[in-house]
Amino acid sequence: MSGFWRNSACSGSSLLCLLRQCLPLLAVGCWCCDCVSVTADELAQRIDSLLQQSFTSAQAEPGPVSDDGEFCRRVTLDLIGRIPAASELAAFLGHPDPQRRVLLVDQLLSSPEHSRRMADLFHVMLMERRGDHPEWLGFLRTSFAGQKPWDQLVREILDPQETPEQIRGAAWFITRRLEKVGQQDTDYPGLTRDIGRLFLGCDLQCAQCHDHLTISDYRQIEFQGLYTVYRNTSIRKDVKFPAVAEQPLTKKTDFMSVFEKQSLTVGPRVPFGVEQEIPQYESGQEFAVAPDRATNFPGVPKFRGLQLIAQSLPVSANRRFAENLANRLWFVMFGTGLVNPLDQLHDDNSATHPEVLAAVADAVTAAGFRIQPILRELALSQAYQRSSAGAASERVLYQYGREKRLSAEQLLASVLMACGDGDLMAAGDSLSEAEQKRAESFVKAFGNIPGEPELEFSPSLKAALFVLNDPLLQEQLQPGGGNLSERLAAIADNGAVAEQLYRSVLSRVPDAEEVEFVSDYLGQRADARRQAIGNLIWGLLASTEFCLNH
Amino acid sequence: MPLNCQSDQHRVSRRRWLGTAAAGTAAALPLFDPALHAAALQRSAKQVLFIWLDGGISQLESWDPKPNTEFGGPFRAIPTSVPGIHVSELLPQTAQQMQHLAIVRSLCTEDNAHSSGVDRIQRGDPKNRGVVYPYFGSAVTKLLGPNDSGLPPYVWIKPLSGGFMHKDAGFLGPQYGSLAFGDGKPPQNLLQHPDVSDQQQQERMEIRAFADQRYARGRPPASTDANGFVFSMGLELMQRRQLFDESTFSPGDVQRYGTHDLGRHMLLARRMLEAGVQVVKVNSYGWDTHGDNFNGSYSLVRRFDQPFAALISDLAVAGLLDQVLVIAMSEFGRTPRVNGHLGRDHWPEAWSLCMAGAGVRRGIAVGSTSDNGTWVASEPYDIGHMFHTWFSALGINSRETAWDNQGQPLPLAHEDCRPVSELLL
Repeated sequence: MSGFWRNSACSGSSLLCLLRQCLPLLAVGCWCCDCVSVTADELAQRIDSLLQQSFTSAQAEPGPVSDDGEFCRRVTLDLIGRIPAASELAAFLGHPDPQRRVLLVDQLLSSPEHSRRMADLFHVMLMERRGDHPEWLGFLRTSFAGQKPWDQLVREILDPQETPEQIRGAAWFITRRLEKVGQQDTDYPGLTRDIGRLFLGCDLQCAQCHDHLTISDYRQIEFQGLYTVYRNTSIRKDVKFPAVAEQPLTKKTDFMSVFEKQSLTVGPRVPFGVEQEIPQYESGQEFAVAPDRATNFPGVPKFRGLQLIAQSLPVSANRRFAENLANRLWFVMFGTGLVNPLDQLHDDNSATHPEVLAAVADAVTAAGFRIQPILRELALSQAYQRSSAGAASERVLYQYGREKRLSAEQLLASVLMACGDGDLMAAGDSLSEAEQKRAESFVKAFGNIPGEPELEFSPSLKAALFVLNDPLLQEQLQPGGGNLSERLAAIADNGAVAEQLYRSVLSRVPDAEEVEFVSDYLGQRADARRQAIGNLIWGLLASTEFCLNH
Repeated sequence: MPLNCQSDQHRVSRRRWLGTAAAGTAAALPLFDPALHAAALQRSAKQVLFIWLDGGISQLESWDPKPNTEFGGPFRAIPTSVPGIHVSELLPQTAQQMQHLAIVRSLCTEDNAHSSGVDRIQRGDPKNRGVVYPYFGSAVTKLLGPNDSGLPPYVWIKPLSGGFMHKDAGFLGPQYGSLAFGDGKPPQNLLQHPDVSDQQQQERMEIRAFADQRYARGRPPASTDANGFVFSMGLELMQRRQLFDESTFSPGDVQRYGTHDLGRHMLLARRMLEAGVQVVKVNSYGWDTHGDNFNGSYSLVRRFDQPFAALISDLAVAGLLDQVLVIAMSEFGRTPRVNGHLGRDHWPEAWSLCMAGAGVRRGIAVGSTSDNGTWVASEPYDIGHMFHTWFSALGINSRETAWDNQGQPLPLAHEDCRPVSELLL
């Protein structure tokens, strides 16, 4: 397999490092984290000094630093997927330690809610709202709870195994895409394309039929070499859990450009890598484990293309693999990619800040593809911590904080946090049937359509009607069980109501104008105070400020 | 602060919203600038009514009768209000509106399977470039830009289920999909929650607007505009829910349009058009008469005839025919040869459609088929010709404008086709 990439390995030469490369499924942390984390530790500083250069050359100043409340809401949403509880916000605002932002980031990263957030985030990113499956979600949750490095996680997705049980759900990434829709053929090209898009940041769609006309790196062979392997797969019918069957790969794929009618062939090949020979076996000798017609067991071929791809695509020598993760993590934290669109990484589409992309990708590799240390550094950068207020006057990218779309999961968790009794939810609790339904309704109202990545804030009529009229939201406004509505109704002083309301819903202190607005409104509606409080909560929940991370 | 926010103050610039939405899907410089285009077309306020007869209406039993010929079938041809143009006797009322209509009898298209044909025809059968083209309705809403009705731009009235249908939008992105009224019924969550009074709803919107106004200070307006826009559209739709209340139709209208599905849906379509919806699509199913074509057509075509004639007449009387482009068609026609089950099968080789209204010449029949109806005898027109023609009728230059699909320039309609000038004013 080492023929795939020039073996530059990870920066350390430690034995474990090499072991991890050779034995990809060995679930051990990289001991060179210590030497490596020096690099990761420097990432925030490096980003800021690079961005400072871009400000200087544009004769611009970076915008102001966010205040503590703005930062607390932003980083809590990003790292644990919900707004802070009013009590958490108060504790943070009152924290005397000048290092409180670092402490908060570390506290959030070590919270069980963080791994749940990561599972949700990567579920949406990788499955793009094609539904869900308990084994797949279980795989993601276990993986993130154990801080599984990205290369290992991707390896498990690209070549899913049926044991151990906790990781077999990884197969759903492939099997869901192999499900037939109506009379259409199984979408092998779509699966191939998604692997390029999601793990290499390369949308090879056009390269299915011809070398890309405008992108010189995207040649037809990049698509076809990967397609050779994945079109050889099917959904296993002999087991109930998601599992992938692979036919013996015996010959290369023939293909032809729609423009130049010249016959070409390719064997299994990672995009931009080296083609691999297909070993030839005598008929009947192709299987390591023979198929069994009685049980429908498809058998295991001796030569497995899936294994080949899994061993050679998600590796540090494959720079695009690291760049893709770097770009996507940047997108998660900054709301835009260093390269846009996220799946158009190529030489003719350079990053807005190439050195920043290189620095993040270096750090990703150096951290052994562990995601947490990268998120930590991004969160600790000054760029991340700038205020988004005043962004209308932005001249240079990253002068101000940026608005980020909230996923349906983040919205639901935030609505519950804002309107509930203020208690922190226990992460990892299994959902009741009603809670499950509610979660599905939120995804229906706020999620994109299947196959459509969720990138920018895109309000829809469907979502507006949901917010306006759906009982699931209205019931949150009914006073009861110590919820926000009830607590606010118990406060006599209108100014204090405003204070509580804004802290709970918008995670900040209201200004004088807002206190006056709330007080005036409650004064006018003294006859129906409870109802008026419900209206105030609704008005803030429906506001753009609540619906975004900013 | 007192509650003095007038909703007009918070009416967002729809044009800006559309611009933002477009920028969201297209990263590169847009070739087509909807804002400029919308400004140019603002006064024309063009609308589209697209009637889709799913399964394939028989041209021989409708627009291109061939009585007393080998494959002509039992029905006669009748004269229309335009001397020299005849249609099937199954269209008696439509025949009286012929002075408003343009028939095309020389369609010749590619696909003879429903599953692919429906898509192919409604997307204009562009060259295969591995991208999914928008349906005509989605394309029009994007190209014309939003009007001032405050209503969803693209509404689809159909039997069975409704909801937000993104499929029509293709590469334009889901926001250009249609809002479907299943059996004429409004979408989910359109009815105000019973615990919330009108007064309360109004107050909530004012609180929301106050919060957004405060948040927008010093920030780019894109997000608050877009969010405000969908809320005002939602509210507009809720406030005008009587649009969908069939009990408020006049008994005379119900009688004239017919009480069957297509009649009710066409009447609803008229209301939507009058209310300013930009594109209304009406679907009718069950036109695939492989068996017993003649009894089938006898009931189907007449059920189309009644509301179609009523609607054309109503639009003409109201003066709306100058701004509404009306198209009635299927995915293909039906075989002249009658099969062993007295049915007609799929026939894309030679078939017909009917159009009327904005930009279209009136009282004409364009193109012709061979004596037995089998082949096109005049210049054959593909669906690409029709797309170019319809775009032209709406004032859109389909030869000089291109879609911008994330930097990939794509022709609006098939580049080998052109507008059919004899159909255009």
